[in-house]
Amino acid sequence: MIPDFDQQGKAQTKEWVPEVSAPAILLENVSKSYGRIFALSNITLALNGGVTGVLGMNGAGKSTLFNLLMGKLKVSQGSVKLFGTDPWKNPAPYARVGFVPEHEKMYDWMTGHEFVSTFARLNGLTRDEAKSEANRVLEFVSLSDVAHKKIGQYSKGMRQRVKIAHALVNDPELIILDEPLQGCDPLARTTIMNVIRELGRMGRTVLVSSHILQEIERITEQIIILHQGRLLALGNLHSIRERLDKIPHRISIQTEDPKALAKDVIDIDEVFGISFPDGENLSIQTHNLGAIHSRLPQIIVENNHKVKTIDNPDDDLASILGYLTSGGGI
Amino acid sequence: MSTKPDSIYRSLDRKASAIIEFTLRQYRTKKSTWVVLGVGFTALSLIFLIYIDVMASEFESIDNDGDSTDYDNDGYPRGQEIRLGTDPWDGESHPGLFDPPIEPDPKSMYINEDGFDWDVAVRIGEQSTGYDDDGDCMDSNKTASQKDTNDNGIPCDIIVEYYRMSDGELYVNIEADSGVDEDPDEDAYSREAIHLAFVLSIGKLGFVLLLGIFLPLFMATGLIRDEMNSGTMHFMLAKPIARSEVFLYRTLGYLGIVWPYVIVLGILGAVVSGFAGSGDSFFRFADLGVWLAIIFATMMATLVYGMLFNALGVLWKYGIILAIPFAAWELGMALLSMGAPDATLLRFSIIGWALMIIDAAAMLVWPNLDLFIVMGNWGGGGGSNWNFDTSLEGSGPLGFFSSKPGLGLSAFTAMIVSTLVLLFQAAIFWFIGGALFKSKEIQ
Repeated sequence: MIPDFDQQGKAQTKEWVPEVSAPAILLENVSKSYGRIFALSNITLALNGGVTGVLGMNGAGKSTLFNLLMGKLKVSQGSVKLFGTDPWKNPAPYARVGFVPEHEKMYDWMTGHEFVSTFARLNGLTRDEAKSEANRVLEFVSLSDVAHKKIGQYSKGMRQRVKIAHALVNDPELIILDEPLQGCDPLARTTIMNVIRELGRMGRTVLVSSHILQEIERITEQIIILHQGRLLALGNLHSIRERLDKIPHRISIQTEDPKALAKDVIDIDEVFGISFPDGENLSIQTHNLGAIHSRLPQIIVENNHKVKTIDNPDDDLASILGYLTSGGGI
Repeated sequence: MSTKPDSIYRSLDRKASAIIEFTLRQYRTKKSTWVVLGVGFTALSLIFLIYIDVMASEFESIDNDGDSTDYDNDGYPRGQEIRLGTDPWDGESHPGLFDPPIEPDPKSMYINEDGFDWDVAVRIGEQSTGYDDDGDCMDSNKTASQKDTNDNGIPCDIIVEYYRMSDGELYVNIEADSGVDEDPDEDAYSREAIHLAFVLSIGKLGFVLLLGIFLPLFMATGLIRDEMNSGTMHFMLAKPIARSEVFLYRTLGYLGIVWPYVIVLGILGAVVSGFAGSGDSFFRFADLGVWLAIIFATMMATLVYGMLFNALGVLWKYGIILAIPFAAWELGMALLSMGAPDATLLRFSIIGWALMIIDAAAMLVWPNLDLFIVMGNWGGGGGSNWNFDTSLEGSGPLGFFSSKPGLGLSAFTAMIVSTLVLLFQAAIFWFIGGALFKSKEIQ
């Protein structure tokens, strides 16, 4: 309740000059706690350029991390720097940052174009500049045709896209997207993923969070995994995956005759176990997921098996997290 | 965008206009805005209607000095007998016995026949004024000392004395020779007094208190808080803008809807009371100065309370609950300012300063207001024969609702001082609100 007089947060009366050598995002030993509960503990991270996926279950600390970056929260320990400036103390770096919050509530009474252009003026643009800028970014997220409709009439995917458009105003160098794919239909998902990939190609630093591995996989290979407030892994998704290959994996196949399929599959070297959970399913255990996946289609086609589904029940965030937290480490 | 803002201040300007515009449009979409504004308009309109009704009714004329009465039942009212020199208490002595006999005058001629006919300036010291229209003071039967009961050497006059008290304020006192201006016109006085009392009371209670507190209570408390609750504040704070700027611009946006509203209602009040008010003129132009002060004081009050309640909203989710004790305190201070305008406690309120603006303007526009109230309380003194409360209807409420600006300053200085204090208060609440907002963690 007591005002934080240490915080400067003054109106910007002289032009903010970013540190030339500073990375877009720099976190050093950052912890954020609420009483005795740590939402984030001891995160050190530097990011500059490219698309980075932030993976984590609900409550892993993704939003806390983003809110720290956006100056909404104050760090308990450590330091957060955006382009070399502490965002809690000085909002100036946001001239170069676009943020897509996860909150669903929007100004339903505005049109998409009004929403984007109004907030573009907070970047210091004139009314006319803001309007043409809004046209540009709405075009970028393929919303031009509904730009003059009320946001209240938008579908979930359009709402997410208009939020992204709002973040892209003034061509920011760093774009932070909190769960941008949540609740979107497949078409909107594809559009949003394309937009994010395009931003990465344009050399922007993009930070995108999700709790679904497959989503992130389609966007980027560079990931950060957060778990219970800790930075569990940072790096290329493939290298993480390869390490995962060393641990047993399960493949579930739903077919009409599991026993016949089992006979053919057992010949593959990498398979070390087969079980039949029920009459229609076959479960294969392997150390090398990639090898199985490359051989399996051929076997199925050659022997004319009727397969309904092939599933990797372990190939999701939960099992990766389970592996990483059980002492595997990377 | 490659185009850089022309200057930092111009870009501040753009941010301000964007948020103000946004806030105005947002108010327009909220039902609560229209409910609050509608209720305020309806409440004030009702008071205006009651006022019009009061102004259209007639105040009963009272024969304050009793000289329309025929005490001796000879058919001649007392006033006529006194004028013509017969004995009003003796049925055998009346002008009908004159040669030629004189017909009795209608009684109504002796009601309100000796009204206020004063001409004084507002300056310290004694002034002699008044004229005995009906001749009951100049009565030849009276001795010189009976004609000069106020003992200033001038027979049948009224002493009006302005003097300065230790609090620095100017006060006025009346001392009349008995029988001078003792039967004033109730209708004229009461109509004027009630008109003035109405303008002051609706200005102080209706505008500054009611609008000044309730508009910000319902409209400013959520300016930041509602956005924080719904999560939409993230959009605004994701831009390169300081939080205290957002606080200020949001408040300005709120003023953008509240100030025009106050101005429109003030103009409505000025028009209604200007046409329906007492007096012979078609429109009471002089009152416009007071209405201007009422509008200005209300604007200042909505500014300061707006900043305060907005800050309370930032402080706590249920800021409106924090605002209620403030509103109660201000109500108490409003009543105090009418009873004891120089109470030190008033300096710790917002409304005390706002009401000072109205009092100061009333002092400028109606320089004889004090004398008018004292005059009404005196009410002619009832001649020499009567000893009951002779104060005229309307002088009580007018006395209650009008007060001296306090501080013992001239009206003009009081206005400037109170305006500066209110601006200072607004700046303080902006600073506090901005600091609270800046240190607030937003989920």
